[in-house]
Amino acid sequence: MQTKIDQFIQHLRKEWQLYVLLAPTIIWFVVFLYKPMYGLQIAFKDYSIFRGVAGSPWVGFEHFHTLFGSDQFLRALRNTFMISALSLCFGFPIPIFLAIMFNEITNQVFKRTSQTIVYLPHFISTVIISGIVITAFSPSAGIVNSFLSWIGVDPIYFLIKPEWFRPIYIGSGIWQEAGFSSIVFLAAIAGVSPSLYESAVVDGASRWQMVWKITIPSILPTIIIMLIIRIGNLLEVGFELIILLYQPATFETADVINTFIYRQGLQGAQYDLAAAAGLFNAIVAFILVMTANTISRRFSRTSLW
Amino acid sequence: MRKLTLLAAAMLTTSISAPAFADGHLRITDEPVELTVHLHNKRYSYDENWPVEQAARELTGVHLKGATFGTNTPSSQEAHNLMLASGDIPHIVGGDKIKDMVNEYGPQGAFVPLNDLIEEHAPNLKAFFDKYPEKMAAVSSFDGNLYYIPYLPDGKYGRAYWMRQDWLDTLGLEQPQNVDELYDVLTAFRNDDPNGNGVQDEIPFFARQWPEVLRLLTFWDGRSSGSDTYHDFHVVDGQIKHGYAIDSYKTGIENIAKWYAEGLIDPEVFTRGSSAREFLLSENLGGMTHDWFASTSGYNISLKDKVPGFDFAVIAPPASISGKRVAEHRRIPVKPDGWAISHTNPDPVTTIKYFDFYFTEEGRRLANFGIEGEQYEMVDGQPIFTDEFKAKGPINSSLYQVGSQVQRGYFQDFNYEIQWTNPSALRGIELYDAGDYLIDQFLGVAFNEEEQAVYDKKWSSISTYMQEKQQAWILGSADINAEWDDYQATLEKMGYSDVIEAMQSAYDRQYGG
Repeated sequence: MQTKIDQFIQHLRKEWQLYVLLAPTIIWFVVFLYKPMYGLQIAFKDYSIFRGVAGSPWVGFEHFHTLFGSDQFLRALRNTFMISALSLCFGFPIPIFLAIMFNEITNQVFKRTSQTIVYLPHFISTVIISGIVITAFSPSAGIVNSFLSWIGVDPIYFLIKPEWFRPIYIGSGIWQEAGFSSIVFLAAIAGVSPSLYESAVVDGASRWQMVWKITIPSILPTIIIMLIIRIGNLLEVGFELIILLYQPATFETADVINTFIYRQGLQGAQYDLAAAAGLFNAIVAFILVMTANTISRRFSRTSLW
Repeated sequence: MRKLTLLAAAMLTTSISAPAFADGHLRITDEPVELTVHLHNKRYSYDENWPVEQAARELTGVHLKGATFGTNTPSSQEAHNLMLASGDIPHIVGGDKIKDMVNEYGPQGAFVPLNDLIEEHAPNLKAFFDKYPEKMAAVSSFDGNLYYIPYLPDGKYGRAYWMRQDWLDTLGLEQPQNVDELYDVLTAFRNDDPNGNGVQDEIPFFARQWPEVLRLLTFWDGRSSGSDTYHDFHVVDGQIKHGYAIDSYKTGIENIAKWYAEGLIDPEVFTRGSSAREFLLSENLGGMTHDWFASTSGYNISLKDKVPGFDFAVIAPPASISGKRVAEHRRIPVKPDGWAISHTNPDPVTTIKYFDFYFTEEGRRLANFGIEGEQYEMVDGQPIFTDEFKAKGPINSSLYQVGSQVQRGYFQDFNYEIQWTNPSALRGIELYDAGDYLIDQFLGVAFNEEEQAVYDKKWSSISTYMQEKQQAWILGSADINAEWDDYQATLEKMGYSDVIEAMQSAYDRQYGG
């Protein structure tokens, strides 16, 4: 026993620089992620700000009963999965295509210019994005409807039609983030050994064959890791943009768990109910990421842990 | 340097105001008392250097030290929650929207009930509430106690119907006197190109907030809200009702949907947002709206040069199908803002006397007009703002800077506002006064814990459902006639009657049935 502690102290002395480097991350996790978990208990309490977390009485699973007894919560849950799954299907492959396309461009000036153009929307704030979307899709002045009327289609009031909400939301998400997300894949492509391409050229491979047989298999681990992370965040729909864009008329397809929490919890000051919904959200996300990781490890031997 | 001038100004003001009340009849304590105060508003928070505050200190001997939480957040609700959660509540808690907080946490012991204190130590407050018992009832908590002294706005009028008088003149039309004439006028606005640019681009009725469209419900004897909050309940003969569940709602929505489909209502009203009024008026496109007296009248001046002949006039509410003229929106007579005594306060008696000070003649003038000789002069016994002070910009913002018109518990004096209200708004106010169009407001209820639980659990979903259906009907994606029975059955299933019952029992308790 004594020797083990001695060994550990020895080890610390030798490697202390590494632990110092690690410390900020650990402190960040403790302060911002582990300490707040204490407050999670209000999901099972009748919470009063004045009485405090410890002083509020327990109510068991009442808030969860309320949530699952509410059609609107179930609808929000369904919408969350729909929006997430659709944006995963359409949004996830696009940065990979972009990265491969950028990689194949040989003209440096054109490459840099187009990269800058697709990265730029990432740096615009959500409020401004929503303003751009509302203006672009406006029936009287919007560019989309101007185009439609030019080809002879009657203007459509997109933002109050439930069937248009998801395409607009997911599309604007792709427009904003696809370019920036492609950076990680570009970095992965840059790491592929040039000798692979050289020998392929010697063997007479076409550009297309090189992309298909060398580039994609080489960056596959990165793709899978990114996919697992995306699945872990599946329920974290960017709800700021939804709040700015939705209307009662589009709640049917637009209301997600986070906007439901916002309306019930923050506007209605029901922190306990909001905490219960948030806790449920986190548990589902945890299960999803565990599942994705396990499946990936079993079939491709690539996993986060 | 800046500090020095401030100090000099402070000394100057005290030396001016002190002699006026030199007899000291407003003095509360001989020993100076210090109390801490949290007073939050998105535009300002308590500042002990406010000249008004220094004058009050001089007169009463009570010194309030600023201890406002969340001064960097625009949300007062957030600031109040931050203060409560800190566990370190200042002696006096006030500012914007404190009613729900004090009425929920007061009975739990966070705030001191004021009824007995007022009875024994605050003659002016007592006289005021004896005169207006309904105002006291409106802000009391479910246990019957009063936990805060409210900010009580004066003046009745909020929003009015505004119409382009010059457009009416161009088309040779009269102001519409009933709903059918209104329909004809709006149709003419749409078809006959009153702005004269040769294009049918006019938007007959528009609104900055889409729920203003629902005000039109009153033309078919419906209601959109009973208070200055949208989608609120209203009261008919002591019975709580909701405008979206009564029978006249069906006719109203049916007609609004028709108007919307015909282009009489701004097709983009749901997404145009807060800049709608500015944009549509300055582009010479908007014909009619329902908006605030004071701020809307300002366009008659600011757009004078940009839009030739621009004349946006207040019209009397057109009569409904049954001949009633109703102005549904009015200024709320008692606000959820004000101040309260917290459980940490060492001297509630002195504090209530201090609150009482602002209900004395001198205190009320201080809270409304600022310092005599600085912001106003007494002319024929009336405080009149000096020209120099009026030239500084909007009077209300300038008054915030000296500590007047801030949300302590006080009774506003409408004279303050009349002095800087635009003539076109004043004419409108006269018109509304003459017609007596205002109706009583629902001032809210204080729930006990059981009622609160019913309301919290059910109302948010019901209200969401109502608004979803409402927009679908107005937009024409569903038909109210086909769905009305289903709609009522669904409301019932979601617990509409339970909520009404909870509201009713709270209402009966609070306003004596």
